[in-house]
Amino acid sequence: MSELKRTQLYETHVAAGATMVDFGGWEMPIKYPSEIVAEHLYTRHFCSLFDVSHMGRILVEGPDRVKFLQHVLTSNVAGLDFEKAQYSIIPDENGCAIDDAYLYRFEEDRFLLVVNAANTDKDLAHLMPIVKDYDCKLTNITADWAAIAVQGPKSKELMMTLSGGAAVTEPMKNALGTLELEGHLARVAKTGYTGEPLGYEVYVKSEDAKWLWDRLIELGAKPAGLGARDTLRLEAGMPLYGHEMGVDADGVPMPIFAVPLAKFAVSFSDLKGDYIGRKALEKQSETFKRIQNRDFSDLSALPKTIRPITLIDRGVMRAGMEVFRNGERIGWVTSGTMVPYYKAEGEGLETVITDEVVKRAIGTCYIAADVLEDDIVEVDVRGKRLKAVIPEKHLDNMAPPYARPIVYGFELSKRAENAAERPVKALELLKRAEENHLWRQKKCVNLIPSENTPSHAVQTLCASDPSCRYAEHKKVKSFYDKDIFYYQGTGFIDEAEQLAVEEMKKYFECTEVETRVLSGQMSNMCAFSALMDWKNRLDRKHTPQRLGYVLNNHIIKGGHLSAQPMGALHDYIAVDPVTERSAVVNFPVCKDNIFKIDVEETKKVIDEYRPEFIIFGKSMVLHKEPVAAIRKYVDEQGIPTTIMYDMAHVLGLVGPYFQKPFEEGAEIVTGSTHKTFFGPQRGVVAVNYKEDELKYGLWETIESRAFPGSVSNHHLGTQLGLLMAAYEMNHFKDQYQKAVIDNAKSFAKSLKAQGLNVCGDPAIGYTETHQVIVSVGYGEGAEIASRLEKNNIIVNYQATPDEEGFTASGALRMGVSEMTRFGFGADDFDKLAQLMADCILRGKDVSEDVAKLRGEHTTMRYCFNDAQFDAALNEFAGKIGF
Amino acid sequence: MNTPTDLKYSKSHEWLRMEGDVAVIGISDFAQSELGDVVFVNLPAEGDTTTAGEPFGDVESVKAVSDLVSPVSGTVCAINEELLDAPEKINEDPYGAWMIKVNGIGDTEELLDAADYEKHCEEEKG
Repeated sequence: MSELKRTQLYETHVAAGATMVDFGGWEMPIKYPSEIVAEHLYTRHFCSLFDVSHMGRILVEGPDRVKFLQHVLTSNVAGLDFEKAQYSIIPDENGCAIDDAYLYRFEEDRFLLVVNAANTDKDLAHLMPIVKDYDCKLTNITADWAAIAVQGPKSKELMMTLSGGAAVTEPMKNALGTLELEGHLARVAKTGYTGEPLGYEVYVKSEDAKWLWDRLIELGAKPAGLGARDTLRLEAGMPLYGHEMGVDADGVPMPIFAVPLAKFAVSFSDLKGDYIGRKALEKQSETFKRIQNRDFSDLSALPKTIRPITLIDRGVMRAGMEVFRNGERIGWVTSGTMVPYYKAEGEGLETVITDEVVKRAIGTCYIAADVLEDDIVEVDVRGKRLKAVIPEKHLDNMAPPYARPIVYGFELSKRAENAAERPVKALELLKRAEENHLWRQKKCVNLIPSENTPSHAVQTLCASDPSCRYAEHKKVKSFYDKDIFYYQGTGFIDEAEQLAVEEMKKYFECTEVETRVLSGQMSNMCAFSALMDWKNRLDRKHTPQRLGYVLNNHIIKGGHLSAQPMGALHDYIAVDPVTERSAVVNFPVCKDNIFKIDVEETKKVIDEYRPEFIIFGKSMVLHKEPVAAIRKYVDEQGIPTTIMYDMAHVLGLVGPYFQKPFEEGAEIVTGSTHKTFFGPQRGVVAVNYKEDELKYGLWETIESRAFPGSVSNHHLGTQLGLLMAAYEMNHFKDQYQKAVIDNAKSFAKSLKAQGLNVCGDPAIGYTETHQVIVSVGYGEGAEIASRLEKNNIIVNYQATPDEEGFTASGALRMGVSEMTRFGFGADDFDKLAQLMADCILRGKDVSEDVAKLRGEHTTMRYCFNDAQFDAALNEFAGKIGF
Repeated sequence: MNTPTDLKYSKSHEWLRMEGDVAVIGISDFAQSELGDVVFVNLPAEGDTTTAGEPFGDVESVKAVSDLVSPVSGTVCAINEELLDAPEKINEDPYGAWMIKVNGIGDTEELLDAADYEKHCEEEKG
């Protein structure tokens, strides 16, 4: 046997008492004295270090690098952006895996291909003869760099300690960064092989390996060996070459599509040309799709697939054990063992991970492709047939910072059935609704920035008769665009709707407004649908083209859900054939202020993508959007585009204290009427096109996408309420808007003075809107928001732009508009800030003090309340029974 | 390595303690340390017979499964049910974590005393 290779950290492992074994020709630690179970649990609970310096690292450079990689890998390399990584497979001509790999683009013009240690020589022997035909060079740099995987919920905190607090990478999976860690150059990837939502693979120069390892251990990480690496990846359902990939137990090569990850790793983009294995993979893909549709008629290209398996009977599964269904052998276990996890108690966000360790016998198997989820099978465990099940997955990592076990058989508790008779239930409902109303309206300080309480007048109008009517109407050309109604009895609502439109036009200072849409989300869908229709208006004989590129705010950077491909943009956004992803590109944000769009960088993005549609607007918003600067730029550059501003959150702030969107050059404004605006819950679309303009046609399309495109019944009660809200807003906006922005700045300042970590730029008073964002510590947002609720303060927890998602939220998002309407001034917000600090920082019960503060402010301001109006309102409300 | 001198050991790393005419059997500290975390144990049922030199059950660690070899022939008169739910006790206290008790003892394997057993372990470790 040739001498085993050793990594830069060999001595470190031996000194730590590791058990060293031969792994793919490398002498590697299988475990430390702590043992595999403890190493596994420490990774899931805190943070472990894995020496992965044995993995093969191949540098790919040269003018043909993309062309070469497109030919030898299954993934779409052209879609790999700078500072992103992708999972890929090295296929053979038969569509089977020579190896699986990760491709990193740390540098604009070079790729790093990381392959399995045991396969490095085989991979290079396969790739070297092929690369000769390309102007491209492969260099094995395995020895030059060390690689350490830092995995687990605390990994981010530890890495940020080394980076001096700077973000290590963007929060998204597969993001990359090159930075200095305490003076040492490091290339960091948000990737891993443990299933942890927080985890990094860090590449450092060989001579820095020991420093990084020791430093991370000093900070609390512990070393883990290949044993734990295997149980972690198994629990996460990740394939291991030689088990779930390569040649199967019968000596037959396994098709790549047998591995569920293949659907992400394999691309059939035209840009990939006739790459190695393409034809075979296409056949597998067709079979794979049929299997998803439960059509098992021809499985010849994919007779078996890799699935998770859980033992129901007591025992342990091991690789190679046979799997049976109704007595028939249908495959075998590819990986299996007993895996530990910390038992959790409670449900949903209340879930608490306890110290109690439980173990479960889980594995991965390669079995007949027609086995369905939850099917029961049997495993031959040394002569005994044990009952097992095919679950969906063993682990889920979508609720960071923890990877959470999905335990077979777990069921959510059901609400106890109320056995009472319906009349009793009806009475209970009234009582419960009354309690809720009085709590929210008399005792709670509501700081949800997307909410407001409408005035008594607005609420009464909303409940009055039109609330149960229909009033469909449409402009008809034959009658010179006169609105024609289909039903009788609608004269009053026709009048009220026209008045609302006129009032809203005055508010926006624009030419046209559509008020029939029922929500901000619907406003956006209506606008997107109209824009897509407008784009295709000259060709009705083909399937319409979708929108792309669209420039918007990324959801993690505060972008509004309604403007995302997962939200209202979903059915209107094209797929970019190069990246094979939604044709959306995001506003870059300032490096020193992640809440603010970077205008100069945005210009570069506009040059590169020439977006046909630009959507401003956010749901986490501290700044004015740079509408004027971008309008000026696209006009100067002659870039044909449409600029929309989704003002949902800031609709009530339109004006001199915040922004005048149309004056700045927006063409379309959408929004919801109930956040900072005074209305009931509805939407609105406004444009500033004039009748003689070409794009006036786009406005007409918006009208038709509102009705009949989006609504038949446009909820006439709240339509009537909107008119009153518009009167109130236009009459009181000068005082109200100034008070909201002053209050927000003042509240931010008070919170800061109380020792809370207020986000944003202190130079502008932290905010230019109604919102204030407070950082409360990574992953702590949900708990603190819940604690505040128990103290009668209603906020929402929020992921900041450098956090992974809502369960990792480390911030609170607050808005001052509703409390401003109830008369809160700077002094009240100062008192509130103190109560919040007592509750958040000192764990004090402030519920009574909050209720008292709220109780002193129950009269609504910025609405009509003179004696004559009050008398008329009371008479009206009384007559209609409210 | 902890090797109590009041016990006898088999070359396959089981320990044996006689309580009257009943043999109490478990695995040695050396064995548990070589196995690593024990995550599962398979024991016979009361009334099963054991044969000297033949497996009576198995222990599973995270990485592998190993047979438990009976040092004596006889009848299983008790099993340590606690281990079925808490196999980690074998790591924590190998000499407290007895596995089976056997009576009606017939054949017995060649057993070593503590000193010879330690020597045997050293040799195996190389």
